[in-house]
Formats: sequence, C-alpha cells, structure tokens
Amino acid sequence: MDIPAMRKSFAKAAAHGDDAPLWFYSHLFLTHPETRDLFPVSMAHQRDRLFAALGDVVHYVDDVDRLVPMLQQLGRDHRKFGTVAAHYPAVGASLLATLEHFDDDWDDDLATSWTEAYGVVADVMVEAAEKAADEPPWWDADVVAHERRTVDVAVLQVVPRERFEHVPGQSVSLETQLRPRLWRYYSIANAPRPDGVLELHVKARDGGPVSTALVRSATVGHVLRFGPPMGRLALDPESDRDLLLVAGGTGLAPLKAVVDQVARQGPLRRVDLVVGARTEDAFYDREDLQRLEQAHSWLTVTLAVSEDPGSSLEQGVAGEVAARHGPWTSREVLVAGPGVMVDDTAARLLRDGVRQERIRTEVFAPSRPGPDVDGEVRE
Amino acid sequence: MTPDQDPVPTRPDDRRPTPADVRAVAFTAAGMLHPGYDAADVEKFRALVADELARSAAERERLRAQVRALEGQLAGVVPPEPPSEQAVRILAVAQQTADQYVAEAEDFSRQMTSDARAQHQEQLRAARESAGAIIQAAHEAAARMVSSGDAPPVAEDADPERAREEVAYLKAFGQAVRVQLRSYLEALITDVETEWGQASPAAARQAPVRTPAQRAEGAPTGPLNVVAEVPPPDSAEPGRAGSDGVEVSGRRR
Repeated sequence: MDIPAMRKSFAKAAAHGDDAPLWFYSHLFLTHPETRDLFPVSMAHQRDRLFAALGDVVHYVDDVDRLVPMLQQLGRDHRKFGTVAAHYPAVGASLLATLEHFDDDWDDDLATSWTEAYGVVADVMVEAAEKAADEPPWWDADVVAHERRTVDVAVLQVVPRERFEHVPGQSVSLETQLRPRLWRYYSIANAPRPDGVLELHVKARDGGPVSTALVRSATVGHVLRFGPPMGRLALDPESDRDLLLVAGGTGLAPLKAVVDQVARQGPLRRVDLVVGARTEDAFYDREDLQRLEQAHSWLTVTLAVSEDPGSSLEQGVAGEVAARHGPWTSREVLVAGPGVMVDDTAARLLRDGVRQERIRTEVFAPSRPGPDVDGEVRE
Repeated sequence: MTPDQDPVPTRPDDRRPTPADVRAVAFTAAGMLHPGYDAADVEKFRALVADELARSAAERERLRAQVRALEGQLAGVVPPEPPSEQAVRILAVAQQTADQYVAEAEDFSRQMTSDARAQHQEQLRAARESAGAIIQAAHEAAARMVSSGDAPPVAEDADPERAREEVAYLKAFGQAVRVQLRSYLEALITDVETEWGQASPAAARQAPVRTPAQRAEGAPTGPLNVVAEVPPPDSAEPGRAGSDGVEVSGRRR
C-alpha cells in the first residue's frame, strides 16, 4: 500500500469539492440501482458526510488504534440503514472509479493500493456488524400517543415492537417513513418501564423536514424506526449525590428521564430541576412536572422565564435562576438545552464553585441547517 | 540416452503431431560413424509418447465440450458494462436538480414558519401592551375617583341655596369624621400602652386597662371596627394596612 500516493490521489478528488461524491454516488446508483433505496431523496448532506468520513479514514490510515474503533462504530451504525456485507464491494468499485476519474495519473499500482486499503476497511466494518448481530439492526416502534403541547412542540409516546433497553439520559436516532432515510436524534424522556413505552419530546425546527413531520403530521399508529440507544448523559451509578438538573427547551427530556430513574430505581436523593423558557406559555410539560413535584417530596421544580416580564414565575435565564438558588457545590449537575444556554449555565456554576467534573452537559441543536438554494450547506 | 539428435523429422508447422504420426514415423538408419539409439528403447518410448498424446487429446476434447456447455448456461446472463461517462453525468445532473427542489422547499418552509412565529410574538406583545394600558387606565380612573370621592360633585350652575346646603353638609361630615378619628386614636393609644405595659412588666399597671369600647361593652374584648390594625413599633410583623375600611379582627387578650 503506497499511502502517500493514495493520499495524493484522494486530495485530487477532494479538490473538486462536491463533484467527487456526486460522481461517486451517480456511478454507484447506475451500477447497483438497488442501493438507491438506502439513501434519501436529497443527497446534498449525504455527500458532505461521505467524503468527510473518507477523508478521516485516509488521514488516519496509518494510525490503527484510532482508525479501527472508528470503523467498528461505523460498521455497527450502518446496520440500521439496511447495509449488508454484499454492499461493500459495490461501494469499493464505485470509489475506485471515482478516484480514477479525477486523477489523470491513475495507474494500476494506485488501483491495487486502493483496493487493498478498501478491503481492510470493509472487513473491519463487516466484522463489527456481524459481532453486533445479537441485537436487532433497528427497532420498529408504534406511536401510541401524540400530544401537540404548543405551536412547535409535541410529546409522543412510542412502544418499540421488540425489547429496547436504554439508560435514562440516552438518546436514540430515529427515522420516519414520512421523510424516508433521514435520521435524527431525540432523547428519551423516561426510564425503562414495564410496558415499554418511551416518551419523546419533539420540537419542530424551522425548515427541518423530520421534526416538522413528527410534530405536525405524525399520528397515533404511525411507525418509527429506531437505531440503538446512545449518549453519555447519565447518572453515575456509584454515586447517590443530590442532583441539580438545569433544562432549556426540549433539553428537559433527558433530565425528566433522570428524575424518573430516581423515582423508579432510587437511590432517593434531593433533586432540584430548573426549567427555563422564553415565555410562560412555552412550558410544554408544566402539568406533568407539577404532578411529579407533588408526588415526590424530594423533587423541587423551578420554572424560569427570560423574556416575559408580566409573568409571575421567576425571571431570568435558566442558569441565572439556578445559580440564584445555590450553592450547589455538593451536587451532581446535569445541564441540557440549546448551546448558548448550556454554556452560560456551566459558566455560572463554575464561577460559583461547582467542580468541573461534577457538571455534565448535552447540547440540543438542529441536526443541520437546510442547504440553501445553491446547494451550499452553511453551518 | 542422450537426445543429441532430433528423432522426429521436421514437418510443416501448421500440422501438430498426432499419436498416429508418432507411431508411424520411420527413422533413417544410423550410419557406422554415428552411434544410434537402442531400437527397443526407442520403440518403447515412442509407444509411451503416442499414448500420452492420445490421452491429452481426449482430455482436451472433454474440456472443450464442458466449456461449451457452461457458456451455453451463461448465455442468458449479461455481465454489466461499466457505465459510460455520459450516463454518470446525466444521473449527477438529475440528482442536483432533485437537491435543488428539496432545498427550495425547505427554505420556503423555514421562512414561513419563522415569519409566522415573529408575527405571532408581535401580536402577543401588542395585545399584552394594550391590556396593560387598559389596566393602567382603569387604576388611574379608580384612583381619581377615590381621591375626589368624598366631595359630592359640585354643580356647574352656582345656586347659592344649594351651595350653602352643601357647605353645611360638608361641615357636619367633617365633624363626624373628627369624632370618629379621635375615638379610634384613643383606642389605639390605649392599646399601645397596654402592649408596652406587657412588654415591661415593671412599668405595667396592676389591672389591664380597657379601651373605651371595652368599657362601653363591659366585656374584655379587643378593639373592634378599627379601620386598620397598626402593629406595635417593636413588632416584626409586616404592617397589614387595610384599605378602604376593611374590617380586621383584633387580637384577643
């Protein structure tokens, strides 16, 4: 394997920007039309992702310790798309054809190097997928309840058809047939229950295809497809420290799951939940939070509004209000919500003396801004 | 044996030796000067070669037949040709067109929802402001009415008789208010003295002092019908100021 030559040939293709992955996919769909079903209608974002991933592989090709875990995770993740071992040679062939097309100095040696390298990559991914074969590649889940709580936010209750185990605080990537082959991450808002029901809080983003479909078009009886659960925002199983949970917007979902975990599994401890919103009518889960607060003496819920001076609730952003009720130096802190809110909250708490390792955060953001009409995806 | 002579006579190149040729070849007799091969060895070897050739030819025929059969099987399956550059280009353009449509649709949707949300918030804000303004206006009107409520509305046309009547009324009213106020204040002062007395027992009088109301009723009850309860100066309670003559029950002693 002549790695420098391979990197050079890849750079030549990458220099053509969007044209290279565009060529790659067109070649793949022509030679293997059955693969078109594995991809969404609009491929603009997919192209970016593919070549970024390939770039990473090429960059780390001689750093096996870094590359192999990456590839193994990719191989496992690809199961939910319906990828099987037979797809890999087709992809390899189209990859070589693409590289050849953009490289005038392509020769047989390069072809051999690339074939060898791709073979190694594919083997790692296929093997990782096969190792994970004891759990299903995806879970079909039926929507059993759909409540439109505000203009933008809906709360869905779904039941997976097969056993689905998750740790409270984790999220799941899901797909709806209303927008085929577009996968988005949502946090599960409850701990595992005997009836298997999972609660999802969905906020419709402007121009977002999946979130708007879930809020406005999904109904009871609709079927979603779940990938495996993932995420690191979870309680430390060793500790029974008191908790401070700060939520902004739909960041409430994973923190509500943590509250549910404390209620169901214990150990009991004091939990202070601060939920922030812009205005009072933006609290989409107020009733349920009040019910929880009344049912559990160890739980305190504080609602904070940042742009509603006429409201009787506490005024200020979530971080400000949380800090006001401090000190929280003895507590474990979990923060979830939009990026600005999370950063602000963490900064305030650190200033007040909470230790960095006690604060864990998760940022909720739109999966992507849509591509504009020139096909450019701007972050 | 040393093969320093070519035993097979040369033939035209396009004819490959068959087993029959090997068997039938006639070697020229060796001369006295050139030592020849042992005839029996050569015959034996010739037979060997002829057999081998026959066997190879038979195997070749068999393989040829098998290949023909397999080719016949594959006749229905056409191996895919690599796509032409033009085909790939056409598909790429089609994909870009699809991407364009989706991007336009998403852009439109995003603009619509953000415009709708901005309008909704603007309307809410305007409604809140005007509601606030209405409430404010109502408060001011009420305040105005309260401050000017004691005096009866003065008639525009100055009727002297009427004016005198009004003046008399006002005087009587003022007198009544002063009397009421005095008795209330006296009651309060007594109340305060009693409280102070309890706070410092040394200065306390032996018998509890009764307020005028208590004296009137002859029963040890607290002050009733006070307009507002004024807490003692050293009390930590926040003052509960009644407004507009709210009746507050007094403390029982």
